[in-house]
Amino acid sequence: MPLVVAENLVKRYDQLTAVDGVSFTIEEGQIFGFLGPNGAGKSTTISMLSTYLDPSGGDALIDGFSITREPRKVKDIIGVVPQDIALYPTLTAIQNLRFYGKMYDLGGEELDHRCRELLELVGLWDRRDSRIEQFSGGMKRRINMAAGLLHHPRFLMLDEPTVGVDPQSREHIFETIFKIRDSGTTILYTSHYMEEVELLCDYIAIMDKGKLVASGTLKELLAILGEGGVIELEMSAPECPEGLEAELGRQQGVTSVKQQDGRLVISSKNSAHSLPPVLRVLEGSGCEVTHLEIYKPNLEKLFIHLTGKELRE
Amino acid sequence: MKQLRRLRDICLKDLLIVAKDRGSWIVLLLTPLAVIMVASFALGPAFEGQLKATLLVVNLDQGAIGRQLTDSLGQTEGLEVREATEAQCEALEIDGKTYKTCMMVPDDFSSSILTGSNTYLTVYVDPSDNASRPFLVGMIQGAASRLSGTVAAVRVSVAEVLKFAPETDPVMVATDAAPVAFQQMSGEQPVSVDVSSSGSAKDVNMFDTQAPGYSVMFLLFGVMLGAEGLLEERDKGTLGRLLVAPVARPAILGGKLMAQFVIAILQMTILFGIGHFVFGMHLGRSIPGLVLMVGMTAFTATAFGILLASAVRTRRQATSIGTLVIILMSALGGSWWPLSIEPQFMQTIGHLTINAWALDGMNALIINGKGFMDILPQAAVLFVMGCGAYLIGLRLFNFRSS
Repeated sequence: MPLVVAENLVKRYDQLTAVDGVSFTIEEGQIFGFLGPNGAGKSTTISMLSTYLDPSGGDALIDGFSITREPRKVKDIIGVVPQDIALYPTLTAIQNLRFYGKMYDLGGEELDHRCRELLELVGLWDRRDSRIEQFSGGMKRRINMAAGLLHHPRFLMLDEPTVGVDPQSREHIFETIFKIRDSGTTILYTSHYMEEVELLCDYIAIMDKGKLVASGTLKELLAILGEGGVIELEMSAPECPEGLEAELGRQQGVTSVKQQDGRLVISSKNSAHSLPPVLRVLEGSGCEVTHLEIYKPNLEKLFIHLTGKELRE
Repeated sequence: MKQLRRLRDICLKDLLIVAKDRGSWIVLLLTPLAVIMVASFALGPAFEGQLKATLLVVNLDQGAIGRQLTDSLGQTEGLEVREATEAQCEALEIDGKTYKTCMMVPDDFSSSILTGSNTYLTVYVDPSDNASRPFLVGMIQGAASRLSGTVAAVRVSVAEVLKFAPETDPVMVATDAAPVAFQQMSGEQPVSVDVSSSGSAKDVNMFDTQAPGYSVMFLLFGVMLGAEGLLEERDKGTLGRLLVAPVARPAILGGKLMAQFVIAILQMTILFGIGHFVFGMHLGRSIPGLVLMVGMTAFTATAFGILLASAVRTRRQATSIGTLVIILMSALGGSWWPLSIEPQFMQTIGHLTINAWALDGMNALIINGKGFMDILPQAAVLFVMGCGAYLIGLRLFNFRSS
């Protein structure tokens, strides 16, 4: 059963359309990943879902409540971990958590207990009385995450929570996310790190220039490139002769052939089996191969395949 | 009720942040205290009549009247007379030290007076000296007036003697009468002036005149820090985090403004408290009146803070524009010098500022000894200004970072 249903969300700023008609659903208990480069519209989408920004068009329902018509009810359900370290640097870790807890009407022993629980969850209970400004970037991010969890949100939005953190803190954040998921919280996770999305997310939506360009499980998405692998070839002549693509497509195991920036990208069910006939066809057509690469499909390559550019551009 | 609790918690959080920030306390307390002390100790002697001005004198007179005049000036309170040569007098300089005013008595001074002719004193002044020149020239003019009165009395005496003894030599009569008359001139005056302060504060000191003005100015600077803090919260995302929590916007701004108001009240209370207990500053005869004025000033200044935060886009703009506006308001509104010395049109413009109304009320209480009811108009004007600034600020403030 979907907890979040977004329909045709749009956000415009004067001439710029930051989010352009995005629709998706997030099932309860799922970790839903938004993957895309900086400026793709991921954070703007989260800002709309969290009621921070009003959509220019469209709407989204979170647990049945509309973000445009019932924002106050939505706020009780959601938790947000913003990309910025939204903490007070001169206050201690526990002072920050206690303050944000009070904003959600927590108090007394319940608040004390919750602060301790979360500081232990993110591994910083021993540093509870240290000022935030004394923490490393990774530790700040862990407290930043804890502050979004104080009120047991049913739907947690994490906006690039690992930007600028050390590997140890990153691992800690991943462990925490799995624990949160296991407690039944639905998570929306944005990142421009392909490896993180592959590792964490049950369902992935790829965004570029404000639009969803593909979505599905990791397996479904990688199948777009070919289940067995991808053969990528660079040739001396920039364009293939007429009819070459069609002939390559008929070779053993080949599922698709695409020309991209002077390269041939051939998806195959089994690249080892497909490679010899492909090379024979190319040799027969007089094309000289200058570079050959065989790889297993991944999100990085898929992104290039879908948008023509790299994820980190 | 929930929103009021959140407002309170936001206020307490802001107070905790300021309490931990030593830099804020330097701006809020140490800087104003230092400036008030420097201004009070530096200007105190001049304002309290303890400053001695020096007048150079060249007495070329061959007779006794010139000496009588210079002695008379030497006995004047606050005035030191130093003899000089003609060249030193014209240059206003002796041994490398410069002076502001010099009086030259001509060589025929006594003889001219005794023979019934008019005579002149020549005074050299430093054209750049606007501070002591009116005092020194005034002293010379006063002495010249007294001398003219005495000469007139001698002439009347001579005329009366000549009525009854026409054969008498008038110069001889004048020469006999002049010393008696001039002795009268330098002795106790038949008409003297008794200066009293109005109101209850009979012995106003420099802290009474300086502390309110500078306190109001630094109160505004403190509020500017608050405005910067609000913009910083917006830029760093903590305000955004509150916006996605179930906290109403009036509660967010209300909490922050409440904290700023408390800080402003504390700042004024501590500054006035130190002024009173350490430096003997008067607080007037109406403490409730002073509390009302401090409260209204803090309220209006806080409203100015939210107006400033809503009028600018960045913290840098808040600092630069805020500093400019506060300095202008302080100059126009009487924080640096009494508004009463400004031309009427400047006083009218000055009353567009928080400073002018706040200082009108505080000076009425502290210096003029007025009561609670007397400062209600000033308090009311500040309240109206504050409400206006709040409403405009709340309307214009952009909660989201761009």
